[in-house]
Amino acid sequence: MTFATPLGLIALAAIPAIVAIHFFRRRFPPRTIAGLFLWQTGRHLPEGGGRIDKLPITMSLLLECLAALALSLILAGARLSSASDARHLVVLLDDSASMAARSAGGDRPRDRGVRRVLSEIDRLESTGRVTLIVSGERPAVIAGPGVLPAAARSALERWQPRATHHALELGLRLARELAGRSGRLMIVSDTTPAGRGEAEVPGALWVAAGQPLTNVGIIAAERTIVPEQGRGSVVLTLGNYSDAAQTRRLRIVAGDKEVSSTQVSAPPGVSTLKLPLAAGLPTVRVGLEDDALVRDNEVVLVEPRPNLVAVENRLPEGRGHDALNRAIAALSNVTRSESGHLQFLPAESLETPPPPGVWRAAFGRPPARLVGNGTLQDFIGPFVLEKRHPLLSGVTLAGVVWAGALPLASSAGRSIVSVGDRPMLTELPGSADAPTVLFNLDLERTNLIRAPDWPILVSNLVELRRQGLPGPERWNYRIGEWIRIRLGREPKAPLRMRIGELERTLPPGRTIELVAPASGGLLEILEGQERLFEIGVNFLDEAESDLRAGAAGVSGAFVDTAAGTRGESGPWSDPLFWILLTTAAAAILTNWCVPAVERRIA
Amino acid sequence: MQATPIRADWPAIRAADAFRIAMPRTPIGGRSGERLGSGTGSSLEFQDYRTYAPGDDLRHVDWAAYARSDVLNIRLYREEVAPRLDLVLDVSRSMVVTDDKARGYGALAGLLACACARTGADVRIITSPANAPRPLTRPEDIEQLLVCDAAASAIEAAHLPLRRRSLRVVVSDFLFPHDPDALTNRLARDGAWLALIQLTLRDEAEPDVTSGTHLIDVEGNGELDMVLDDRAIRDYRARFSRLRSGLSTGARRIGARFAYVPADRSVRDMGRALAAAGVLESA
Repeated sequence: MTFATPLGLIALAAIPAIVAIHFFRRRFPPRTIAGLFLWQTGRHLPEGGGRIDKLPITMSLLLECLAALALSLILAGARLSSASDARHLVVLLDDSASMAARSAGGDRPRDRGVRRVLSEIDRLESTGRVTLIVSGERPAVIAGPGVLPAAARSALERWQPRATHHALELGLRLARELAGRSGRLMIVSDTTPAGRGEAEVPGALWVAAGQPLTNVGIIAAERTIVPEQGRGSVVLTLGNYSDAAQTRRLRIVAGDKEVSSTQVSAPPGVSTLKLPLAAGLPTVRVGLEDDALVRDNEVVLVEPRPNLVAVENRLPEGRGHDALNRAIAALSNVTRSESGHLQFLPAESLETPPPPGVWRAAFGRPPARLVGNGTLQDFIGPFVLEKRHPLLSGVTLAGVVWAGALPLASSAGRSIVSVGDRPMLTELPGSADAPTVLFNLDLERTNLIRAPDWPILVSNLVELRRQGLPGPERWNYRIGEWIRIRLGREPKAPLRMRIGELERTLPPGRTIELVAPASGGLLEILEGQERLFEIGVNFLDEAESDLRAGAAGVSGAFVDTAAGTRGESGPWSDPLFWILLTTAAAAILTNWCVPAVERRIA
Repeated sequence: MQATPIRADWPAIRAADAFRIAMPRTPIGGRSGERLGSGTGSSLEFQDYRTYAPGDDLRHVDWAAYARSDVLNIRLYREEVAPRLDLVLDVSRSMVVTDDKARGYGALAGLLACACARTGADVRIITSPANAPRPLTRPEDIEQLLVCDAAASAIEAAHLPLRRRSLRVVVSDFLFPHDPDALTNRLARDGAWLALIQLTLRDEAEPDVTSGTHLIDVEGNGELDMVLDDRAIRDYRARFSRLRSGLSTGARRIGARFAYVPADRSVRDMGRALAAAGVLESA
């Protein structure tokens, strides 16, 4: 027994006080008589004070002493055993999906790990504290910090690992913070630290509860469509993590209807599988039959709706005009239009304000307001490229002769490509929704249009514009990826997302950004009650599908410290408090009632 | 202490049933019966002469006297009555303060009920100043009235439903504060005869010396811590003796009977004690 406030033991002085009161108080045996008036005189008690008699050990004395003792112990904060310094067990649970892999016997590393944690909890005293943390990109505390074992047990029962592959570092950091200097740290995973690519964790008990298993899973998936031909396809990358080829039945279901069911053979390692699929089908679920890991056996694929970029070539007839046409023709999902999304035009035309939402790429001699002092010059390098700019992705300008570059005014804009202090490619100031790029270049004389960088530049421009069109950047994502959807307008109603049972409100804006939820499945973006988009969110994780690294064993050890963590709850969390309180109350009530009963009986 | 009726030991009472209520020597009133009344009646006991008046029964003319004095005189005889008897029973809790006292009270009440029956009187039982007296037809019926749960004795009440010219037998422990003369006068008022019977335990009359005791009045009149030493016992006995002698003197002063009956005596001894005190007489 320990005491939270030992000063409260001073209250024990009440016991000798009670004894003294009983010792000096006359408590005679009761006797019921008739005619008390005959006894009543002026002298009831003998003169000269009370006689020192033997202390009468009465029920009342015992009850009063018992009540005083119980109340004193409550004041002193008495707790059973080391309740005030309870042992604190902090458990980091590996939440990766491989923890849910079933062996032939149906047992999972999760189940074995939970049993081990429960055995550790059972070793704690009843007042011990437990904190449960699940690992992940964002570790979460599922029980605690410092809850009683009963609460931890129920949280453990509810825990189902499902996360994609991740490092335990963040979870470990959180666990160490919560354990402090006194808590015991335990890590439950399906493999050893080495098997997981983690360093040994000093001062912690690492419990590996896995076992090597073979598995076939979908580690990448894509749904394509060729609108012109009215056909599409599903491209799956299968990972066979065993030593032999595996045969699985593959089903494709659109809505409630099975579209196809085929027997596929996956050779050991990674293989790709392409299945034809008719265009215009709704969201399909592609599933392999169950094996060790269920989570990687199914993907949800939404049919992509390509964003067509309308391009307008207003360059004057000539080499540049033709080269641009050739570059555009090589791009997919691009259409020609006179009022398109992207306009290629001579730089002299920049004085005309652009139509709303039209991006412009200007070539040639810029308007006079943009030109600085100097003469036309040709440059062969060295070119300084703003590599972070998406327009220059994959661009090197090696061997390019940049011809006819005029000096530009300092206020002309932000230089993306320059030679020395002379800008070659400039992003002109203007609306963020309709940027303008100035190629300070004479297309008729430069060799850029024959260089490999030319189609890349044109393609980058088109893709940049495509990204600015309303709709999602992609239609199928992996769990944990950022999903960006441009609305292109202010939302007319509250935006929400819904995936399975999970539903939450999205911040209003012209762009929706969210992380693909860990649950996976079909993600719906809703505007009020209207469904705007459907997005496929899939568990595609090669690292988690490979179950061959599973291992069992225990490494490391707890670091025992003398002190545990202090109980965070009040004294009422200790059973001794209630025992003492009940005892005190019962003693007081009995002391109140029993003498009256005895008197009546007498 | 008990609130249920006292159960009397009727076999013992029947065995000792050889008494009746002792009648006073003075004439008494009542309905026509077997005992001599105070008025003129048709008994065989001569009472007086008076001058003949028309309508008198010629059979009562003393013809011998007429022959001697030539005056018609009528012989008057005493009337025979059945006396009215009011038996006042104390049903306060003090009468059953112990089992011995309750048992003794049952025996005494049963003995008096039998004596009343042998007397041939019109017996009414009074246990409360508020309730009407109950006639006693059978001695055994008295048990139903002995429910001793009252907080005070009926005798303490200023008014009791006593009948005029009735014989009165009062049974109590008289252990309540009172003025004996006032009490006896009140009980005897308009009555023909009064008998006071004090029933107490021997321990109530003569308690022993003990150590400290927490005394609790059975009728709720207080509690008292007291060391029952020699002096306290001596004082108590003196006060009890004064109480009893006060009652005795008060009764004697008005021509009433007073009897002290220890509750722990046998029924037969109780009968003898009452007979010795003139409350009962042999039947």
